[in-house]
Amino acid sequence: MSNHNSESQHVQSSLMRESLMDKGLISRTDGPVCSILPDVNVIQIGGRSIMDRGRSALLPLLEEIVGNQSSHRMIIGVGAGVRSRHIFSVGLDLGLPTGALAVLSAKDAAQNAYMVSCLLAQHGFVYLEAPFVVQLLPAMLAAARGAVFNGIPPYALWEHPPALGKLPPHGSDAGTYLIGEVFGARSVIYLKDVDGLYTADPHIDPNAEFIREICAHELIEKNLSTLPVEPAVLHLLTRAKLMKEVRIVNGLVPGNLTRALAGEPIGTVIRR
Amino acid sequence: MDKPETENEASATALGNQLLSGSLTDATLLKATEQTPDFAILPWVNVVKIGGQSIMDRGRSAVYPLVQEIVDNLPRHKMILGTGAGTRARHIYSLAIDLGLPTGVLTVLGTAVAWQNAQMLHYLLAQYGIPFIEPEGFGTLPHYLMERNAVVCQGMPPYKLWEHNPASGRIPPQRTDCGCFLMAEVFAARKMIYVKDEDGLHTSDPKKDSSSRHIPRISVEELLAMDLDDLIVERAVLDFMTRARNIHEIQFVNGLKPGQLTAALEGEPVGTIIYKNGTAR
Repeated sequence: MSNHNSESQHVQSSLMRESLMDKGLISRTDGPVCSILPDVNVIQIGGRSIMDRGRSALLPLLEEIVGNQSSHRMIIGVGAGVRSRHIFSVGLDLGLPTGALAVLSAKDAAQNAYMVSCLLAQHGFVYLEAPFVVQLLPAMLAAARGAVFNGIPPYALWEHPPALGKLPPHGSDAGTYLIGEVFGARSVIYLKDVDGLYTADPHIDPNAEFIREICAHELIEKNLSTLPVEPAVLHLLTRAKLMKEVRIVNGLVPGNLTRALAGEPIGTVIRR
Repeated sequence: MDKPETENEASATALGNQLLSGSLTDATLLKATEQTPDFAILPWVNVVKIGGQSIMDRGRSAVYPLVQEIVDNLPRHKMILGTGAGTRARHIYSLAIDLGLPTGVLTVLGTAVAWQNAQMLHYLLAQYGIPFIEPEGFGTLPHYLMERNAVVCQGMPPYKLWEHNPASGRIPPQRTDCGCFLMAEVFAARKMIYVKDEDGLHTSDPKKDSSSRHIPRISVEELLAMDLDDLIVERAVLDFMTRARNIHEIQFVNGLKPGQLTAALEGEPVGTIIYKNGTAR
């Protein structure tokens, strides 16, 4: 309801006294959005798909990241993986709510991100916790060669209740996407252990068909039983203002990241 | 190591084994997590949201009596007091939109305004030993609630740059109503009470329409189906409510009327209650 209360002390603005819940007012707030860091590429390293495999998967990938440093600016979000699966199982057994599971899981991704930052330290990458992403990321990118951050967004106890079940809906895929969107980055690239999107899990179903390109709405409607990215990413894409596509590539195949950074049609692209 | 390294020891439960090996986007796995028990973390706490524009921006005339009412209730009720943002947020949102800044940046800016209001409320309650706590300090919250019966915090969820874009426009869709609701939900609080400057929900704006009727109780499903152009609460709260496991009703009271907050804390049906169908008393 609108608040036309005369006793309040107002600051003059176009939204003064208006209800921010009013649909008409909300739609009037649309308009052009500027890119804050338009030349930065946001790369996500999957937790279960890459990190949990250890050295054989991660080290060649990091070498490839370093190899691309001179031509592309990159910030790297890292996912959680199997330790989060384990703590979800213990936490659910104890009856803990979604917000508590989100707090716990974020620490697993923080560990993984910290390890990645140690391995890239000699190449000038820094590790930034969420408050430092807010305050220091542009400065750090000016001074440092790149940054590593926790892919899981800092929703913590304030994680949304999921539509189904009790697991936190915003993991490192959503968090990485949101960083790409808010900074208006050049690209969002997910490094996973599959070549991209399939009609079914290719590790289980040999008849799974590869999907090279699809829009988020269409993919939501397909209601596939498993996806290589969190469903939250698809919903976020439908509301994108700046980051209107994400690319999923196989990070276990050398050269894929380089090709994705060069704008080649590798893996799967999901568009708004 | 070619295969992902999984835990060697088998998990304690069948669901645990599924979680370790299955896909987290698999609907049957997600469905199985619904069957797990819900533990209430702070079942005796009340989350009370103090409106920004509706209360704080009015200054002394609205805030002092409400602070006194909060103090009077401390011996009987434990409270997490979250604050709204208000007119300065409206100013900075309009400025930031004009400058072309994205929603996530608006959230960072709006959070600062709710933070200022929380600081002011905290100064007024400081002599009663009530602390102000940031999201990062929530680990100490149970201690303060046991010792001093209340804490003050800013109502915005700590999403910062990671806020979702709204379905329409640029204003952050999850603001202080949502932040307070989510605190109540995660702690399985006793009550979620919104203190604003109206007696609750009406069929139309009572300040403009004299035939407007007061709605004492309405289900969230009914309210969503009405698809009103304007609402007493952020739309996202209603969406969260339909999926919430712990909070089955939220109450809206008029903070300008002495005694309404007290009545709500005592479980009386003042103002408006929005409840979730299937969980109505």
